[in-house]
Amino acid sequence: MRVNPNPVPDLLAALSRTRQDTQDALFQLSSGRKVNEPSDDPAAAALLIDNHDRTTFVTRYQQSLTSMQGQYQTADSTLNSVVLALQRALTLGVQGGNGTLSDQDRASIVNELQGIQDQLLSLANTTFQGRYLFAGTKTDTLPFAVDSTTASGVRYDGNDAVNTVQIGDGYRLAANKPGSQIFVAPGHDVFLAMKGLVQALQANTGIDTAIGTLRDAFNYVSGQRVFYGNSMNQAQAQSTYLGTAQLQLSQQENTLGGADIEAAASRLVNSQNAANATLAAIGRISQLSLFDYLQ
Amino acid sequence: MSGLYGSLSVALSALRASQQSLETSANNVANANTPGFTRQRPVLVPGDPVVLGRLSFGTGVVVEKLQSLRDPILELRLNQESQSQGKLDSVLSALQQIQVNFSGTDSGIGDAISKFFDSLQQLSTDASNPSLRQGVLTAAGNLASAFNITAKNLQNQRSNLDLNVVETVGEINTLTAQIAGVNQQIADLENVHQDASAFVDKRTTLIRQLSNLIDVSVIQTEHGITLTTASGTPLVAEMRSFPLSTLIGSGGTHGVFSGTADISSSIASGKLGGLLAARDQTIPSLQNNLDQLATGLATALNTAHRAGFDLNGNPGGDLFVPPPTGGAGAAGALSLAITDPSQVAASSDGTPGSNGNLAVLSAVHDQTVAGGQTPLDFYSNIVFQVGSDTANTSADLDASDLILQQLEDQRSSISGVSLDEEAANMVRYQTAYQAAARVVTTINQMLDDVVNLGRY
Repeated sequence: MRVNPNPVPDLLAALSRTRQDTQDALFQLSSGRKVNEPSDDPAAAALLIDNHDRTTFVTRYQQSLTSMQGQYQTADSTLNSVVLALQRALTLGVQGGNGTLSDQDRASIVNELQGIQDQLLSLANTTFQGRYLFAGTKTDTLPFAVDSTTASGVRYDGNDAVNTVQIGDGYRLAANKPGSQIFVAPGHDVFLAMKGLVQALQANTGIDTAIGTLRDAFNYVSGQRVFYGNSMNQAQAQSTYLGTAQLQLSQQENTLGGADIEAAASRLVNSQNAANATLAAIGRISQLSLFDYLQ
Repeated sequence: MSGLYGSLSVALSALRASQQSLETSANNVANANTPGFTRQRPVLVPGDPVVLGRLSFGTGVVVEKLQSLRDPILELRLNQESQSQGKLDSVLSALQQIQVNFSGTDSGIGDAISKFFDSLQQLSTDASNPSLRQGVLTAAGNLASAFNITAKNLQNQRSNLDLNVVETVGEINTLTAQIAGVNQQIADLENVHQDASAFVDKRTTLIRQLSNLIDVSVIQTEHGITLTTASGTPLVAEMRSFPLSTLIGSGGTHGVFSGTADISSSIASGKLGGLLAARDQTIPSLQNNLDQLATGLATALNTAHRAGFDLNGNPGGDLFVPPPTGGAGAAGALSLAITDPSQVAASSDGTPGSNGNLAVLSAVHDQTVAGGQTPLDFYSNIVFQVGSDTANTSADLDASDLILQQLEDQRSSISGVSLDEEAANMVRYQTAYQAAARVVTTINQMLDDVVNLGRY
């Protein structure tokens, strides 16, 4: 069997293959990535798109939670102030109900209570980042307006709508509680109860009933704080969960697209050895010729 | 023919034969690195004997012919493999350029889709915020331009491939004209019974080059060879070549014509076959997929957008300019229908703070908008398809390269010049020449002896 007398093209082809291998390994080592083009691993490239999408969303859910937590905290501390103000109003009411008080003393109590009325109105109109917190979704409209034609002297201009924000796949959290459910809920109208107490003290009659009504409203408003407390707890729990999810996604991303550094390094060494061996072979072959031995 | 003079002529024939053999070796050594060269070896035959009575005397040696060592079947297989290698090579180069548009998760259509839905989520935490509304419009604009850029790149690539088709047809015509010319030279030589081996080598090399460009069938005829495409379009008939032509068609790309017949769709192999496949199948199919995705996504988002209300409480309009009916060119033409951030229909009830309709818009992320798939699933599929086509073609090309290399090895083991072999042959020829020269010297002395008979 006659063999191919010119193996150099074969060796050169082998050399170019090992050089390609060296380049691939070097590229993986320098970029830290094994999937740089879809053809490097088509299935991984497709999965990486999904991974990128999920990562985008998980990051967004985290940011949404942060922004919602700010809103919850503002609302919660506002309601805390409301509760404290109502407590003070109740104390004043009980003082005012003491039959030994002079008209003048009651007048000064009424005076303080009217200050609390103003404070409550202002608290109910609290804004967060320029938007009214307790207006439902009519966030650009002053929700509680003074209106002497209504029984309580305050008119609600907001609506009953609730925004929900997605904070997980299929997991939405209510972002707000409309003011109609906090301050002017039927039977627990804070402004009406306050007005009732002021009127009772001014007339010095029916004070106990008025205090009872205000206590109801106080209990009700205190109860509404639970919504924000719960929401903040849920947000905290979800935030922790999302942190874990983010870690998993990043691990998956690395498994799919990251370079196996050890494997790449050993490929680099192997391909360089192969290249050296091939080069040595080419050098040897060109030295061998019968012509050298014939004189 | 016997006698001393007879012996002299026998010795001379040996000298001539050794010399001619040495010349053959010299030519082989000279062409050791010539591509396509086929080594030759002298075929020595004894001269016709002379019969004298009961004795029959040899009349020396004759170089009957110089035999070229080639295997026609191997050449055919080399041509065939060269055709598929040419096709794979041009398809791979097209695919590698295509997949650039789909590589990386931080850019391109996939990323733009994710970022658009992300901007909706961001707006949902503060639905009336003007900068977040602008964010949605910007993300939607980026989504449209990601489609536009990819569509434009694909279209440009298609134009480049088309240009390449025209150039390749030019190369094919040059080669077929050359082959027809060489056929003429071979016929001229063979008519006067001369050795046309060098021209046959040249023709073999030319046919190989042609095979790399187009699918060629070689038919041996009485006066040379005829070349046709695999589907029978004539390229060369003995001494005549039939040039192909290109003509721009209604689709804006060039058709390949033989005479008046459009043969574009019948060219299955070679570089031209690969270019045509990438130009007329791979890219249009991708364009169609992108158009489908752009149409599905824009239509679904428009429907969702129209269900809501903008910042001023007006009913939402289209978010994107509605894609053309049928979808052709949708990806390239995708653009925004609104420019004012307040027109983003985030609200579900007309109040500015409501984010209800953003949930409707976000839901498109998980809706089936194209080919029964969600936008990103459909897009991932495109990426997978492009990636696996590229990877498979690359593997096929590697295999084809290896096969070609093995066939080349085989060809070289039959036709290639071995310097060792030639060195050994030279020793043989030199020794034969020395021996024959010795015979001449001896006969010369004997003739001398005869001439001087009786001088002393």
